[in-house]
Amino acid sequence: MPPVFPYRSTRPAELNFEDLIRPQVEYLYRLAWRFTGSVADAEDLLQDVLLKLYPRTQEMLAIQKLRPWLAKVLYHQYVDSVRQRARSPILELVAGGDGEEDPLDNVPSSRDGPEQDAERSALRDRILLAVRQLNPEQRAIVAMHDVEGYSLEELAKMLETPIGTLKSRLHRARQRLRALLPMEPFSADERVNR
Amino acid sequence: MIMECIDFTSRLDDYLDGQADERGMQAHLRGCAECSRQYQHALAVQAAVRKLAPPEVHPAFGDQAILRATRPNAAHPRRRAVLGVALAASLVLGVALGAYLSMGDAPVQSVVLAVEKPETVRMVFNSSKPLRAATLSLALPDNVEVVGYGSRRELSWQTDLREGQNLLQLPLIAHGTVKDELLARLSHGAGTKTFRLKIETSNAGTSGM
Repeated sequence: MPPVFPYRSTRPAELNFEDLIRPQVEYLYRLAWRFTGSVADAEDLLQDVLLKLYPRTQEMLAIQKLRPWLAKVLYHQYVDSVRQRARSPILELVAGGDGEEDPLDNVPSSRDGPEQDAERSALRDRILLAVRQLNPEQRAIVAMHDVEGYSLEELAKMLETPIGTLKSRLHRARQRLRALLPMEPFSADERVNR
Repeated sequence: MIMECIDFTSRLDDYLDGQADERGMQAHLRGCAECSRQYQHALAVQAAVRKLAPPEVHPAFGDQAILRATRPNAAHPRRRAVLGVALAASLVLGVALGAYLSMGDAPVQSVVLAVEKPETVRMVFNSSKPLRAATLSLALPDNVEVVGYGSRRELSWQTDLREGQNLLQLPLIAHGTVKDELLARLSHGAGTKTFRLKIETSNAGTSGM
């Protein structure tokens, strides 16, 4: 009987990098945006990850659950980049062309009137600002646990971090968010929108 | 035995994650309006964060990112900003640098912030030649934060300035009354230039130069 490799994928070996990555780009971009809070930083982070992954295509073919594995790679790249350098706020100016969108400027449209849109926009700004005030590791745990739904046990394995550390990081992040987003009118507004 | 409020609060996160004694927590919630409010607030905050959606990924991003990853020599533009959009949306303080940084101070500029309302202040540095490994240091007045950097009063970055226009983008927020100056110091080699930005707060919720 042939040996069983529980983490060995059954993906056909002829799949290439693009076949593996393309279905994951949107998910990884969304996660990167939740980590970084900016479109340009999310794109840069994801680009860095893809550059590192390309030489590992064969390794990826053997990964059974690719999405959590990619999330882990993205997380480590994010934390490393934050640790290695405090990012300079100096940007290169380009006259015209595609540019960075400030998430605070990007508010989903709705069929409500301008007043409701303005209220929703103000609320979204407040929530984004609160999330931005978390430290990078707190933002990541909120994104992966509270938004993407990974359990602490899964994250402890994925990120190779003790569960107690993750639990206390999540606790502090939630406490900070609650303090930054006080009860009224925030809760009332949220209840109205449910 | 009835659970105390302090126990409820300490187990609130476990309860949100389905990891706490359900019956005990629910019994406490039924009898305590304050903890019930706390619980509703915690749920609302969680729901609000979950609902935050990123702007849609640019349709061409996936193709371009994969192309750049598989052909490392392909162009890789980073950290870009549209001049027109950036300047229209923000306060802009134009500052021209000479071929080398001269000693001395640049003219004082001013900005009005509304309390607790983030405002991105953008300064354009015109440099007539590239400056590698210049150091930018900021000294912030009390009650003013660079968003994302917590309560740090002094920040410093090493950066390369390109020839031409360079944009310094500072998301600032005032947490109380401010009538003071932010100092931005740009150093390269033996040269240093200091920019002073007067910051005042207004209650009117408006900002401008």
